[in-house]
Amino acid sequence: MTAHPRQAATVEFRHVTKRYDTTRTDTPGAVNDLSFEVPAGKICVLVGPSGCGKTTSLKMVNRLIEPTSGQILIDGVDAATRDVIELRRGIGYVIQSTGLFPHQTIGDNVAVVPRLLGWDPARRQARTDELLRLVGLEPASYRDRYPSQLSGGERQRVGVARALAADPPVMLMDEPFGAVDPIVRERLQDEFLRLQDELAKTILFVTHDIDEAIKMGDLVAVMQVGGHLAQFGPPAEILSNPASDFVARFVGADRGLKRLSLIRVGELPLARPVTARVGDDAGEARARVLADSFPFLLLVDADGRPLGWVPRSAIPPDGPLDASLADPTSPLLSPQSTVKDVLSRLLAAGVQAGIVVDRDGRSLGIVTIDTIATLLREGGPR
Amino acid sequence: MIDLVWVANHLSTIGASVWEHVVLTAVAVAIGFAISMVLALLAYRFRWAYGPITAVTGLLYTIPSLALFAILVPFTGFSLLTAEIGLVSYTLLILIRNIVAGLDGVPPDAREAATAMGYTPRQRLLGMELPLAIPVIFAGLRVATVTTIGLVTVTGIIGQGGLGQQIFLGLQLAFPTRIYVGAIGSVLLAVVADLVLLRIQRRLSPWDRPRDT
Repeated sequence: MTAHPRQAATVEFRHVTKRYDTTRTDTPGAVNDLSFEVPAGKICVLVGPSGCGKTTSLKMVNRLIEPTSGQILIDGVDAATRDVIELRRGIGYVIQSTGLFPHQTIGDNVAVVPRLLGWDPARRQARTDELLRLVGLEPASYRDRYPSQLSGGERQRVGVARALAADPPVMLMDEPFGAVDPIVRERLQDEFLRLQDELAKTILFVTHDIDEAIKMGDLVAVMQVGGHLAQFGPPAEILSNPASDFVARFVGADRGLKRLSLIRVGELPLARPVTARVGDDAGEARARVLADSFPFLLLVDADGRPLGWVPRSAIPPDGPLDASLADPTSPLLSPQSTVKDVLSRLLAAGVQAGIVVDRDGRSLGIVTIDTIATLLREGGPR
Repeated sequence: MIDLVWVANHLSTIGASVWEHVVLTAVAVAIGFAISMVLALLAYRFRWAYGPITAVTGLLYTIPSLALFAILVPFTGFSLLTAEIGLVSYTLLILIRNIVAGLDGVPPDAREAATAMGYTPRQRLLGMELPLAIPVIFAGLRVATVTTIGLVTVTGIIGQGGLGQQIFLGLQLAFPTRIYVGAIGSVLLAVVADLVLLRIQRRLSPWDRPRDT
């Protein structure tokens, strides 16, 4: 990737309403007085049940649908005042069914907007190859194939590459990963988030899947049927503090558990267990463990890397501590792991505590099921 | 049976008939295609026009060919024009229907994506919708061409007709060889034309093939 910082734009909905039937406000797809602002470079997920108007809202940004009233401002400029063709060429568009052109090769599909913008062939080709590589498709083997020769996941990647081709400041994504199986979807989500770290586009992302919304969104707009905005805020806030019964029901009874997927272990206060190195004096270590409320000794090697736990009762009264005493069943965790992952690993291993280690494998402290339970009770860090 | 000696002695006459047959067909299909394209695009753009257009061309299609040529003779005589008017009018229904069906068959998501990426309606039509409609349009062209090759023989009755003229002469002179030459010749011509058009269609729509495995 080129190193210069990528442009992004703010997107603001100002009292946007779309009515399909002037006498009613609840026709499917209608939108009612929608106002919110997405800062430049952020992902805003529109989520809600079918018919709630989320796709309508998305399509009003590039004017595939014109609002009945209200404005959509892109970097402060009302989209309605701009030339519609020029507006659309500056907005990336990714849809569930990909919308790839069946009669064009993958390379030509990716280069659609650059071609419309009149880029010369050499620049188009270079950009196409760059983008295919960016989405993990080797240009030499994919460039000249047709969409029908690709798998669903590969087609989705091409769809993303095509939307990025002219480096638009804003991207619209309508259930972009909805048509692939769950394993591929998760991989595409992860890859896309990593990509977004570099690109920092302003993205409006539509999904009906609350888990996807929480995972992908910097901001989440929960919509309900009739096109009302039920709540707008960061995912953690939606989960910890739903604004209405509808939102609480929509995010699900397990919202407490879902919230755990937003918190990284590194953000938690880590407990410091009694620790001793191999070869240290057992008697002294034993005395320290007896004085502590946690009945285990964490044994580490000469470099500070955890070997495992020694129960209080198994510590010899004297002599040097031996590596064979340690029980290595506790999982080693990265500070980047989500608390949800950690909880499931602790439960799977059948242990009370996991050891958080730094990049070099040295112990940073431990996280216990008790810590996580406290977090669930108190709401935890935001 | 077939008098092969006659055939061998008249190769240039037969060749001229074949050529005349090809020209009559090509002109009819080309003009028919041009008219059909205009009418089909009208019907595609303005849906309400589709009914009237297919009704009128459908009516033309139902007129028996012999009767149509007979009706035209008082106006345009035993001329090439008479023949072409008849031949063209029989291609319209098939071609219009196939062009519209081909355009309707463009995947809606691709059409929406094109619009969303900033295609003008004209760019969308020329760059995406028509290319994607090629297989269905060519299916129509093949049927229209084969039908026209058959109908050209009928124009022998008004003194045109390419190979059709050989058939009529054979009947008048009670000389079966000419009848066979005309009949077999036009069948072969139809088969060849069909294969040639199929080739061209494959060339123009390389994506429209069974999936690679």
